[in-house]
Order: sequence, then structure tokens, then C-alpha cells
Amino acid sequence: MKILGVSMVSKEEILEGLAKAVIDGDEVKSEELAKKSLEIGIDPYESLMNGCNKGMAKVSDLYELKEMFVPEILLSADAMYAAIDILKPHLKVDASAKKPAKVVIGVAQGDIHDIGKNLVKMMLEVAGFIMIDVGKDVPVDTFVKKTIEEDADIVAISALMTTSMMYMEPVIKKLKENFVKAKVVVGGAPINNDFANKIGADGYGKDAVEAVKVSKKLVGV
Amino acid sequence: MDKMTPPERFQAVLMGEKPDRVPVVPFILGFCTKIVGMPLGDFYADGNKSFEAQFMSMRLYGYEQTPMYGYASCGPWEFGGKVGFPYGEGHSAPYVIEHPVNELVDIDKLEVPDSDKPVGGFVEAQKLCDRCVEMGMPGIFQGGSVFTAAAVVAETTKFLKWMKTEPKSAHALLDKVSQMFINQVEYFVNRYGADKCVVFDGGPVEANTVISPQKFEEFAFPYMMKVHKKIREFDIPVTLMHPCADQNLNIPYYIKMRESLNWKGIYAWIFGPETPLKTQIEKFGTHDIIGGNVDPPSIQTRTYQEVVQLCKENIEQGIENPRGFILCPGCEFPPLAEPIKPMAFIDAARQFGVYK
Repeated sequence: MKILGVSMVSKEEILEGLAKAVIDGDEVKSEELAKKSLEIGIDPYESLMNGCNKGMAKVSDLYELKEMFVPEILLSADAMYAAIDILKPHLKVDASAKKPAKVVIGVAQGDIHDIGKNLVKMMLEVAGFIMIDVGKDVPVDTFVKKTIEEDADIVAISALMTTSMMYMEPVIKKLKENFVKAKVVVGGAPINNDFANKIGADGYGKDAVEAVKVSKKLVGV
Repeated sequence: MDKMTPPERFQAVLMGEKPDRVPVVPFILGFCTKIVGMPLGDFYADGNKSFEAQFMSMRLYGYEQTPMYGYASCGPWEFGGKVGFPYGEGHSAPYVIEHPVNELVDIDKLEVPDSDKPVGGFVEAQKLCDRCVEMGMPGIFQGGSVFTAAAVVAETTKFLKWMKTEPKSAHALLDKVSQMFINQVEYFVNRYGADKCVVFDGGPVEANTVISPQKFEEFAFPYMMKVHKKIREFDIPVTLMHPCADQNLNIPYYIKMRESLNWKGIYAWIFGPETPLKTQIEKFGTHDIIGGNVDPPSIQTRTYQEVVQLCKENIEQGIENPRGFILCPGCEFPPLAEPIKPMAFIDAARQFGVYK
């Protein structure tokens, strides 16, 4: 159907299109559809949840099934953030809504490998967490300081090396010394559940999808 | 007790004969700086120091690994970028400070170093290999992985995206990186003779936790083939392969490479702990040496007795490999492991790895 020469698409088509653009990693399309959703008056929150996030949830599923890999996910993330940038200024702030949980995330001291950390960050963001990214090669004290400053609910630490994994336990110890109640989730190639338990972490995610599940459980979402 | 010396033992495996017991190649690099009291950064910044630390460690423990030089972030330095050496807390290996490729246009500007002299890390590798060859040991240096090197020559996230959005440019970069490896291998072959050279090929970015087997086929396989075709032409007898981390879905391509090149040398495979030894023996065991793949983090975090047990299990699964077995970890020996841990490997080989 066309009105004044403009193709009229339904709300469902736009939301589905947004989800598909995110899955396909099509940044141009996701931007276009985000703009169109505003033009035809779709609640931006709905576009975010039933368009972008729905697409990203599918991406998580495909990653878990080994049907989607890092290059494709990086492009999906770009498509999602392109749409979010357009939708975000139009989101209504609901003062009565429950405050989302906050996560301080970073790569352990001595380690510069941050692709895994960035995937976890993006998937937690999609799951509704507020993310504070402290970067890579992060000193122990920075994790602790930022967690206190931000009053974070979770500290997520990633390590890819057997040398840097040894800097996870000092973060946990220092948080305890400072009576910080935040839960600690660890992950990365050399980490396993036994190691996570041994150093006193509250959770372990073997990949980005599991990191989200564990984090949700820890904050009761 | 041992009936062979370490060189005799390793030579026996290379020749396809049964040694007295399973040889131990603990993939020790940065770990040996603890043995000699050297900063880890010096180990990578100076090939002579790297040789000395590895040679001392080899003598102390009596394992079969001879010194080698290489690291996962090979590539940027060779193309004019900057790497940092691991002097900081928690560091384990050289890391990239400045990628030579940040934008697509940078790929065209990249100049491939030729074969008349070593560049970047190969300068340090040559210092180490000179010492090894002088003492009758092989010169072991890096000849890959092309894919991992390309993923650090370029800013990694961008390179991974370019495989989808700019595949021609990704291929152009991979082609240049593969030529750099070929030229550097040629330099070493000219310097020492092919029979004194062992090429090490391996990297983590092509793991299936990062890319799909389809992407491996399209972007990693052709350039691995290109380099190995030259290794075959050079007549280098032994190539150490380390498909790092989980590369189970890439195994068909490693088999295809061996078959399509009609490989006449020996591959020694050190897969990550994610690949069962049974699979490796089934796929490569008739022609190639299989390296064990004890889980590296466990070497660091578990007790001596537990590591001996892990080695025992590994030996039991690998010892009867038709073309020979060596006991190794599934990746570099953890630099922070206790000094007793290499002994766990040797003790396990002596207790459970004796050939009747």
C-alpha cells in the first residue's frame, strides 16, 4: 500500500526487518529501519526490544550452536548499535522502572586480548545490563576502584593467558577487603569452573552466552 | 632408567623407530626465564638470551625440546609496526603496540620484506638458530600461521570484519603476509640448508571459537597451502604444526593440505587440549608424529601429582601412535608454573612411557 508515494509497511514488518538486519549484520538496513520506525510512530522501546534485541538474541543462539562466529557477530553488533544510536534519544525515561544491574567489565592485568570481553559486554548490554567497560590490561586496583565508584552489581573479568589469569584472584580478595558486595564472574580460554571456584569467583562463563546466563542468575533477573 | 640420550631419543622418533621411552617436548618458552633468573621481556627481545635460557632449561631438565623462537603476535614487527615485549605484570609474550594496517588503504602500502635478510622477530630468531645449528641442533623458527599473523598485522577486529565486508582486501593482506613468511623461510634455508631447518606453524585466531570452518577454508587454507607448498619445495624435513585452541572443525583442511601436497616430510602435530588424541591418531597417525596435549592451565593450577596423572592419561592414549608420539602440553608451557612441573612430564614419561 502507498500513501503519497511512500511505501507503507506494517509495524511487524519493521520490527522483523530490524531483527533480520541485526542478524545479517546489515548496518545500512538497520539504520534505515530504525529511522522508519520513528517516522511511523513505533515506540522506540519496542523497536529496541522486539527488533534489535530480538535479532541479537537470535545471534546468541546461533553462536551457541556454532552456526555463527566472531566476524559475523561483530557485524551484527555494528548493525545493532547503529539502530540504537538512532532510537536512544527518543526513549522515554520511566522513573518508576526497576534500576538495571550494573557491570564493571575488563580484561585482567597483563592481557590485551579483548575480543571475548567485547562480545560479553555487548551481549550483557542487550540483556539489559548497564556496562562500565574498563578496557584491557586492567590493574587490580582499577577494577576495585571502578566497582566502588559505580556501585556495580557485578565485576566481569576476562583472561586469555595463563599469566594474566593469576590477576583475577587478587581482584576478588581486594573487593572483599573493601567490603564490596559485587559478584565476580570470570571467563576466558584458560579458565574453567574449578579455577573459578578455587579463586572464589561467584560465576564462570565458558562463553559469552553463558556469561549472560550466569550474570542474570546472580542478580536474580 | 633411560637407555637413550635426549638427542638419540628424538632422532629415533624422527626416523620412525621406537625410542626407549616417550620423548618430552614441553613447549617451554617464557617459563625458562625463571630457571635462569631473566626478565621475560629479554627472552623475546634478544635471540641470544632466548637461546641461553632455553639451552640451560633443556640441560637442567633433560627434555627433548631444543631452543626455538616465535610468538603468536608475529607479523606486525616484520611489516614495520611496533610490538612491546613482556616486561609488565601479567604479560606472557610480545604484544602489538602499533598495527601496520589500520585502514584498507594501508594494505596496498605494505611492502613485503624479501628473502635477502631477516626482519623483525626473524632477526632474533636468526641469532638463536645460529647458536643451535652451530651446536648440531636444528634451527626452529616461525613459518606461520598466515591467518593469525594477518589478524595482528591489521587491527584484529577490522580484519575479522573485512573477511565479510571487504574480502578482496582481506585476501590481498593474507597474500602479502604469506609471501613474507615464504621469503623469511627461504632466507633461513639459504643460511643453514633445509635439512637443518624446522618450521613452526600455528596460531590461535583461526580457532573455531573465532571463525567458522567455511571462513577457514576461504581465508586460512589457501595461504597455509601456499607456504607449505614452498616448505615442500625447499625440502625441509620436519614441520611443527600447532593448530592452537579448538580447531576440530578445521581438521579436514589440514588433512586436505597433507594429501593435496603429497607431503613427503614429517608433520609433528600439537593440537590444543580440545582435540582428542584418538582423533589425531586416526587422521594423521599413519604418517605423522602426534604430540600430546596436556591442558596448559592445569599444569599451572594443579599439583605435581595431578599433572603426572594428566601426563599418564595422555601417554596411554598416544603411545601406540604408528608414526610416533611425543609428550607435550596443548600449548605453551605456562610461564608461571612451578619449576617442578616439567619434572612431572619427565617422571610420567619414565614411569608410563617406556616402550617394551
